[in-house]
Amino acid sequence: MATSEASTTYKKIQVRRYKPEENPEKNYLNEEKGLWAWLTTVDHKKIGLMYLASIAFFFLVGGILALILRTELWTPARSFLDADLYNQVFTLHGAIMVFFFLVPSVPTVLGNFVLPLQLGAKDVAFPRLNLASFYIYLIGALFTLTAILTGGVDTGWTFYTPYSATTGGNVIMMTLGVFILGFSSILTGVNFIVTIHKLRSPGMTWAKLPLNLWALYATSIIQILATPVLAITLLLLTMERALGIGIFDPALGGDPVLYQHFFWFYSHPAVYIMIVPGFGIISEVVSTFSKKIIFGYWAIALSSLAIAFIGFLVWGHHMFTAGQSSLANLVFSFLTFMVGIPTGIKIFNWVATMYKGSIDMKTPMVYVMIFLFLFMIGGFTGIMVGALSVDIHLHDTYYVVAHFHYVMVGGMVMAFLGGIHYWWPKMFGKMYSELWAKIAAGILFIGFNMTFLPQFIMGSQGMPRRYFNYLEQFQPFHQTSTVGAYLMGTGFLIVAIYLTYSLFKGKKAGPNPWGSRALEWQTASPPPLHNFEHIPVIINGPYDYHKPMSEFQLGVASKHNGHHAEETVDVPESAQEKA
Amino acid sequence: MSSTSATEEKRLDHVQHHFVDSEQQFESAKMGMWVFIVTEILMFGGLFVAYIVYRSWYPELYLEASTQLNAFWGMVNTFVLIGSSLTVAMAIRSAQLNQIKGLIYNLYITIGLAFTFMVIKYFEYSEKLGKGIAPGEYYTYDGLEHEKANIFFSIYYMMTGLHGVHVTIGIGLMIWLVVKAKKNVFHSEYYTPVEITGLYWHLVDIIWIFLFPLLYLID
Amino acid sequence: MSGHHISSAKFLWGIGIALFFLTFVTVAVTWIQIPEPWNIVVAIGIAVVKALLVVLFFMNLYWDSKFNSLLFIFSLIFFGLMIGITLLDTLFRNDPTPLF
Repeated sequence: MATSEASTTYKKIQVRRYKPEENPEKNYLNEEKGLWAWLTTVDHKKIGLMYLASIAFFFLVGGILALILRTELWTPARSFLDADLYNQVFTLHGAIMVFFFLVPSVPTVLGNFVLPLQLGAKDVAFPRLNLASFYIYLIGALFTLTAILTGGVDTGWTFYTPYSATTGGNVIMMTLGVFILGFSSILTGVNFIVTIHKLRSPGMTWAKLPLNLWALYATSIIQILATPVLAITLLLLTMERALGIGIFDPALGGDPVLYQHFFWFYSHPAVYIMIVPGFGIISEVVSTFSKKIIFGYWAIALSSLAIAFIGFLVWGHHMFTAGQSSLANLVFSFLTFMVGIPTGIKIFNWVATMYKGSIDMKTPMVYVMIFLFLFMIGGFTGIMVGALSVDIHLHDTYYVVAHFHYVMVGGMVMAFLGGIHYWWPKMFGKMYSELWAKIAAGILFIGFNMTFLPQFIMGSQGMPRRYFNYLEQFQPFHQTSTVGAYLMGTGFLIVAIYLTYSLFKGKKAGPNPWGSRALEWQTASPPPLHNFEHIPVIINGPYDYHKPMSEFQLGVASKHNGHHAEETVDVPESAQEKA
Repeated sequence: MSSTSATEEKRLDHVQHHFVDSEQQFESAKMGMWVFIVTEILMFGGLFVAYIVYRSWYPELYLEASTQLNAFWGMVNTFVLIGSSLTVAMAIRSAQLNQIKGLIYNLYITIGLAFTFMVIKYFEYSEKLGKGIAPGEYYTYDGLEHEKANIFFSIYYMMTGLHGVHVTIGIGLMIWLVVKAKKNVFHSEYYTPVEITGLYWHLVDIIWIFLFPLLYLID
Repeated sequence: MSGHHISSAKFLWGIGIALFFLTFVTVAVTWIQIPEPWNIVVAIGIAVVKALLVVLFFMNLYWDSKFNSLLFIFSLIFFGLMIGITLLDTLFRNDPTPLF
């Protein structure tokens, strides 16, 4: 594995240059047609697009729920929702956004689409499993929608016991939905890990792996280590409701804080499942639009793994006021600070990559800038709520809500949008309107800050979260926040409109509109069904912008193409791959 | 996939298009299974955490409540599962040596042992439920003094229940293997599903190896 | 990295018999009442040896790619973290402040 760097053995491969076709007649979108071919496809690219559609749907639902909440909060007293309905709406907003959008979004959409392309593989290791995990996702979604229609859930997305074991509504259906969803997440993780290990094209050593893949690798590791614990937690909770097993219910002799340990052992690493793939996207985009080799390749790659690891040690900082022992509080608070280190390393390296680069402010890069700005605020406020003494004051206030949204929306969603805009030409072979994209990015930035900056202030003044009414002194903050939320909604609407428009009327994108050196850009846009017409051979790193483009388009010379100019290159032999 | 002629074609028709060769496909599938085993260990790990936490709080509860479990039948079940693990290992060996009959016989024995395990488990459960030792709320037995006896049996039922579900899934997988083996799908170059299912079955065995002393042998 | 290790039938039976024997031992030691902490240590110790035999020789990890062993070890490490850190709370609930 990584040790293969130390004693690299080289072997000679006959290669020739394969220039990507400008206008391919056949691509993965038109080779197999019809609805049935889509529903039964095992092609990772199509599965990625099906995920994109479902995730966009859930983002829409979650977004509408958020707007309903914000509208209710326009006045201090009741506007149009009663307290119970309000509880259900914020539970659903949280659960849908976390489990059905944030957790799967980047890995399943962009990961599925880009990962085999970046490896030079024809598909992921287990294509049928990949399709299965999509359908498992849909079944989980079906359970959740049933739960909403048959009584709703008002526990908050964390399903804390004993309330979740005793409240009305259809909690079982909801937890089963999330339980099923977990399997989808696990299978995706298994698939990605094996693919990255086993399906690399000749010359793709660990040191030449794109940073996006390092991030996806770290994410997959968290997925397979943490998600099973969520599964068992939800199973226990389901049994708690169905049979009253009492492990978490104090009325039956159980311990509710133990539930929180179980839940956060998954759910804290889960926020890294959400954000780490975003880091991967940022690394790709920063290097491409600075036209410069990435600064600190290994620092960025290994800090992803470090975050994955440390992320498992800090879950108790969600429970500072829950009644856990003060020794645990102390240890968790200390460990929480350590997460800041690898994150800081990453941000430093991205900024250093931009330094003296020829920065091209295309839309994906605009989103990177937004990401850096918002995620820094999210990260620093995270350190503040991680500090034991400060958190006692800020716990369960809007300060925490604002922190979480700065990290998740300001960090992860902005990175996701950046990634969508970056790989959109590759996905569909079409360019979107650069002008509208920048306008929308501007609106999103302003709308986001209007929504969540006031919440920091409210929170520090003591406005508790999850309340449908509030003291009159908070009204200006809440109203600013609501206006900002609608502004953000408008921004997302514009994004949806111009992206859809580009599918039909967009300019044709060449194979490599950004002039990137990475492997996924060295095939046609949209790519052919099996990604490459040849077996790619890699001799340079994915960010070597100082080397000529021709060196990035090599492939194994096939025998019947002998009349082309061929040459021989030395390729380090990786442990697994034999060409 | 199945073809009756033993040509060169048959030796390779199991390789899917995105793999370079059979070896790469086999290694990938095996690594995939190991990654999946990691998830299984952590899933059971959650239950073991619940077990350990409650045991550290109420050691006397475990001493008292485990007397209700029958160590003899627990031991018999351990023998049964270890025996089935052995036959699965023999099944893989048969497949590696192209002895399809041996493969099928060993799978039959494994299925039989797995059924034996489940039948014994069934009698254990029904004996307890008859006495009113049900999980949590429905616990009505009054032969134990400790007030948290219901929690011990909740943990017992969750652990053995989840394990039982795994055994049942394993039986299903074995039957599927028999059907495939009868269609002559497996041979010494391609026995990946047998190997993978074998790994799964051994894991189920290992979990029982820990459950047995932790639940039955506390005294 | 030989993924196709073939064990001899004798060897597999040997492992099986060792496992049967250890199962008998773990039951037998309960008859002789070992004092409090050590009975758990012995029971778990025997279980660990049995599990190791299964993992190494039935699941062929002994001959398999090192990465698969690494995966297995990692799952145990993370299980250890989960239980270890949870005990930091549950064992020290009653202490008002840490000892130091």
